[in-house]
Amino acid sequence: MDKNRRGFFGSGLGLGLAPLILAGNANALTAEEAERPMSRPARNGMLPNVPLVTHNGEKVRFYDDLIRDKTVLLNFMLVQCTDGLCPTAAANLRKVQDLLGERMGKDVFFYSITLEPKKDTPNILKEYAANFDAKPGWTFLTGKPADIETLRRGLGFVDWDPLRDKDLSNHVGMARYGNDKLERWGGVSLRSSPENIASTFKWLTQV
Amino acid sequence: MNSREKLIQRTMDVHREITQAGLRRRDLLKMGLLSAGTGMLLPIQGLSLRAAHADTSCPVPGVEIKSPVTRPWVEELPRLVEKQTVLNNDLGSFNCGKGGDLPGPTPCGTLIGGDSKIRLCAENPAMETATPLRDLGHQGWGQAGILGNQAPKKWYEMRAKQFNHVWHKDMPAGAAGQPAWGFDGVLPGPMFRTRYGESHFTRIHNDLPAQNLGFGINQITTHMHNLHSPSESDGNPLYTNYSGHYYDYHYPNVYAGVNQYGGIGNPNEALGTLWYHDHQLDFTSQNVYAGLAGMNTIYDAHDIYADSTMGDYGDETKGWRLPAGSPTAAIPYEFDVGLVFHDRQFDPRGVDYFPLACFDGAIGDKYTVNGKIQPYMPVKARKYRFRMLAMGPSRTYNWVLNNGASFVVIANDGNLLPAPVLVKSFWQTTAERFDVIMDFSKFKPGTEIILINQAEQVNGRGPTGKLLGAAGGAQVLKFIVQSSATQVVDDSRIPAKLRPLPYMGDMPVSKVREWKFDRAGGEWTVNGLPYDRDSIRAEIPEGSAEQWNIINGGGSWMHPVHIHYEEHRYLSYNGTAPEPLAAGRKDVIRLDANAKCNIYMRFRDYKGIYPMHCHNVVHEDHAMMIMWKIV
Repeated sequence: MDKNRRGFFGSGLGLGLAPLILAGNANALTAEEAERPMSRPARNGMLPNVPLVTHNGEKVRFYDDLIRDKTVLLNFMLVQCTDGLCPTAAANLRKVQDLLGERMGKDVFFYSITLEPKKDTPNILKEYAANFDAKPGWTFLTGKPADIETLRRGLGFVDWDPLRDKDLSNHVGMARYGNDKLERWGGVSLRSSPENIASTFKWLTQV
Repeated sequence: MNSREKLIQRTMDVHREITQAGLRRRDLLKMGLLSAGTGMLLPIQGLSLRAAHADTSCPVPGVEIKSPVTRPWVEELPRLVEKQTVLNNDLGSFNCGKGGDLPGPTPCGTLIGGDSKIRLCAENPAMETATPLRDLGHQGWGQAGILGNQAPKKWYEMRAKQFNHVWHKDMPAGAAGQPAWGFDGVLPGPMFRTRYGESHFTRIHNDLPAQNLGFGINQITTHMHNLHSPSESDGNPLYTNYSGHYYDYHYPNVYAGVNQYGGIGNPNEALGTLWYHDHQLDFTSQNVYAGLAGMNTIYDAHDIYADSTMGDYGDETKGWRLPAGSPTAAIPYEFDVGLVFHDRQFDPRGVDYFPLACFDGAIGDKYTVNGKIQPYMPVKARKYRFRMLAMGPSRTYNWVLNNGASFVVIANDGNLLPAPVLVKSFWQTTAERFDVIMDFSKFKPGTEIILINQAEQVNGRGPTGKLLGAAGGAQVLKFIVQSSATQVVDDSRIPAKLRPLPYMGDMPVSKVREWKFDRAGGEWTVNGLPYDRDSIRAEIPEGSAEQWNIINGGGSWMHPVHIHYEEHRYLSYNGTAPEPLAAGRKDVIRLDANAKCNIYMRFRDYKGIYPMHCHNVVHEDHAMMIMWKIV
């Protein structure tokens, strides 16, 4: 036990923690989480650690498996997109992954999350991914509707007007991009040029 | 604190303790907090932030997220730090920094003499595409012709860095403060005092660390808001100054219309109260919120007397005799005071909070002035000039005084009006500046006068329009009139007339353009499109005038629209003449929901790209911006 931990037990400082040892109930925190503290944006609720399923059928945790310590681009989409914006965004991202070349899947990851998790099953997303030549590093995600909703609200893909908020096409134009390790988060339009989108990663990883 | 806040607070405490104590799996097992079977902590209330936090990205300040309680009028208003030139104004005193390793005859590059090449970071490959400027010189170098200047007269150096700042001594961080970003290690940054005909040069070093405050980015570009500044020194969002480097800015300090009128331009185009702030693409709101902003003034022979022979500044018996004070007094420019208004949010523990995922805008439940929460200011029984800046990111104010006294407004957006305007209250939105004169000689010693924001605003979308009145509004700053053993000297005046407006008839409109500020696909747009760095949306010949119709696309959004470089005049605001306060030259348009403003603009003197954007900088960062170009 190192000095810090001795201090923790010895000084009786565990004011918040100590009573919990005797208490009971509520939500769980993985041991992994306890060992590896979350970034400040995650702590502030922006990056909920909800369970999701990838287009390859893998079960993942949003923050732990997809975000922590990584540089990412996040967007919401739906396969049956009525206004044509989703294919535009996906087609743009297909070019962006080419521009990023070897960085894709190595230090840069794309996550496209469906807004219609009931319709967009892993199999359908797999087909969609193949359609856009998604390379390793670009993952499509689905999950329980409530978890997707938690994620959407945490990431701020919302409109204050309930009617506009219901219109899913209002959440597909923008991507969030971020570097969890350096706690840098910005937004970029998926309608801008692939070069413009790709350029965000230049400064996102620069120290 | 309600029960949810308590839960958040407690959960964060637990996380911090686990982290600080460096607890590992086996420790947690021993403590009986971990289930060996599932690898999960036992289900115990208060351990999960996921459960404790609401899923909303825009928590309502003061309701869904509350800053710690602080007492008002405990902190004294700090004066902005007066910016000094490099030692003896001598170029040899420049610190090269890491960016100094550029070719040139002197270690610091070739600042001396006529060479005015832009000093960028050539070694940074990322800049090759973003800033194709390395072969350009500074425009307007030595242009202050009537003075025979060949190079800038004043040389400055400034450093963006991280330091600890005390927002209020009652905050949990106490006197130690907490990390913030700012220029020269102060917040707001130092106050520059410059004058027409005296060009100045500022080398801005970026010493910011890679790890930020939980928001922000250590890559900056410093915009001098409202200056008639060449494109390469404007602080364009694309001209990044990377950490460990510097960027050289050259401000000719000439009036607009140099090519049109000769000399150093048209004196009726004089600017007065400006500010500088970060403008990094996609990160402006976060970096400005972190503290990267400060003020700048420009004087001339009329405004804070500064004559062409570089005579006295601040002599209240000369020029228009506006309240000033001597630059060499114990308190320099004692009666010409910059006030930077900036609202902030802290979490219940008092840690800086920025709503990273909120696209609406960012407002806070704490009002700060010059970096302190609800400060007081001792004032002498005489006239003062206050240069009020609404720094944002997203708040709109409506100012009123608790005693019902009037404000004498002399300038809007830093430009002296044709005549002072007397008002009981006035609106001020993000990035706008108002210069007001307040006369405290009318009050007995000990009188307390409180500046109140009576505009109701509950989110970043804009004010609700409701005025809460002096009794219901937010108290922001308290003036306390001091007694004095000796007669208080006040040579200043409130002139009946100030600066005339420039004549518009000599440059007729050659083109009308329409710009609609709207929302689509969950992002902010101009004419239906989000910002794209590869797109120049208007090319305008140098020496021409245009009419721009600025339209709010609807919804309940308010957009403070800012156009860089040249100022505008309202031809009409919602079909009628603008109110007297807005009848002068401006650089911010308060574009209320469904408003339509027709403005007149000239494009003169320098060439290059400039942006137009929403100055609710959260909107700007989420793509409500265009680039236009003078060709």
